[in-house]
Amino acid sequence: MSENADSMQTRHFLLRRLHSLTGIVPIGVFLIVHLTTNSTIAWGGLNTRAQSEGFGWMDRAIATFQHEVSFINNMPLLLLIEVTLWSAIGFHSILGVYYAISGKGNTGAYKYSSNFRYALQRITGYFGIFFIFYHVATLRWGWTWLVPGGTQWSHEAASSTFAAAIQGSTDGFTAVGFLVACFYFLGVSALVFHFANGLWTAAITWGITISRPAQKRWGVICAGLGAGLMLMAWASVIGFATLDYEQASAVEKTMHGEQIHLNTDEPTEAVTLTESKEIDG
Amino acid sequence: MSEAEAYAYDAEMRKANRAKAVAGRSVIFKIKRCDGPNKPSRWESFKVPIEEGANVISSLNWIAANPVTVDGKKTTPVVWESSCLEEVCGACTMLINGRVRQSCSCLINEYAPREGDVMTLEPMSKFPVIRDLWVDRARLFHNLTRIKAWVPIDGTYNMGPGPKESHDHQQMRYALSECMSCGCCLDACPQFTKQEDESKWDSSFIGAHAISQARYFNEHDTGKQLKADRMDALSGAGGINDCGNAQNCVKVCPKGIPLTESIGAIGRSATIHAIKQFFQGKK
Repeated sequence: MSENADSMQTRHFLLRRLHSLTGIVPIGVFLIVHLTTNSTIAWGGLNTRAQSEGFGWMDRAIATFQHEVSFINNMPLLLLIEVTLWSAIGFHSILGVYYAISGKGNTGAYKYSSNFRYALQRITGYFGIFFIFYHVATLRWGWTWLVPGGTQWSHEAASSTFAAAIQGSTDGFTAVGFLVACFYFLGVSALVFHFANGLWTAAITWGITISRPAQKRWGVICAGLGAGLMLMAWASVIGFATLDYEQASAVEKTMHGEQIHLNTDEPTEAVTLTESKEIDG
Repeated sequence: MSEAEAYAYDAEMRKANRAKAVAGRSVIFKIKRCDGPNKPSRWESFKVPIEEGANVISSLNWIAANPVTVDGKKTTPVVWESSCLEEVCGACTMLINGRVRQSCSCLINEYAPREGDVMTLEPMSKFPVIRDLWVDRARLFHNLTRIKAWVPIDGTYNMGPGPKESHDHQQMRYALSECMSCGCCLDACPQFTKQEDESKWDSSFIGAHAISQARYFNEHDTGKQLKADRMDALSGAGGINDCGNAQNCVKVCPKGIPLTESIGAIGRSATIHAIKQFFQGKK
């Protein structure tokens, strides 16, 4: 075998397995963390430590979510984490599309559930790329011209500004806003399926599950994980789509008020905090 | 539909059809015809009287003797390939009602129980058509050479008797040995696509059939001497990693070979092979 063929072979194997791996680490792991954070809008009311004067269930949820987002935005090397994720998603997407177009679906003739999952894995992949791009471009990169109300997302007012982005205005649903909310609902559903099913096939790819009973058992675990993540994803979208902008904004202002109050006590810390925020955007 | 459900559904459907089959009926065979390689295809229908126990091959024999379409137009006899007539050679594999299977074991009573029922016959979709229902499956056999699907016994000295094999291991290999290279798994696979350019065969997806055969020979005590060569071939372009896990292969396999288990096992071998190559490979 020529050296060229050898390196081609090594590269092919590496690219294929990296494609499989990046889907789990970092993308899949991030998805779990991301949905856990976002779904606090639905269950954050349980967080009694977010209690403040006059706070109800939703206020605690808004405060918890804001606390999580602020925590993330104060992480050191946040940009490095982001760039790692964007590169991994870009790599997984480009190779994924390249691999997907090499196949030719045949669910019309062979109506097996595994064959439908094969087709769905590709469809959700295409749709997922589109959704992630919109999601990151509008909220992180600030492409507000793609946001129906033209509003800007801010990590300092995380719940309220996201509610405005997904509802179409700061004053509840607009027609286009409702479409964006539906787009989000479909987008998160597609990505959760893609991850859960990908986790199932990855176990075969790497040779972890071999026997049919083993593949079935692992399938049950993947389906369970997928169902859990799906609930979290739906709770997040529904939570923000039904969030009251004014209420969220009021809670966020209260929180920043407390922060300012804290900062005046310790002025040196306040300076570092502001600086790091500016760097991390 | 899961694999088990699909089997049960198909078996139920065929059993129900057998029970309601009408004696002395005629069935319409809608056949995709093609006069030669790269020639255009056309559909022709034939009305065939069904005898007790008729199958697709016996019906094709009747059409060969009476090559007249339902419109009363005289045509050429339909060409097909068949050999064993007991579902162990794979030669008569074709698409029946859009799905791949052997035509010799396909009973008309199970597919077209009533007068005037239509059965469609098409050549396999992933191989070049030679004529009518006859295809050239050379790529399928070429793929066996890619993974050296043989036991190396030629040498300068007598290798003696092979090592002892456990009963369970022998049973596992026996299931894999039942493959007749019919190509059903390839025709139903969404990742195995038609490739008429022979120069691209070595980099196109090899398919479940050869993957399972690689496992079969890797598991043979003398055959495993070529395991590294097989894993080299299967780690490259068109190898094991091109599998998309649609798992149609195992559902259409007429011999019930655990093809998806072979895919998982070869996936594991490829993982181990890559780690070995990384740490101790000389290439």
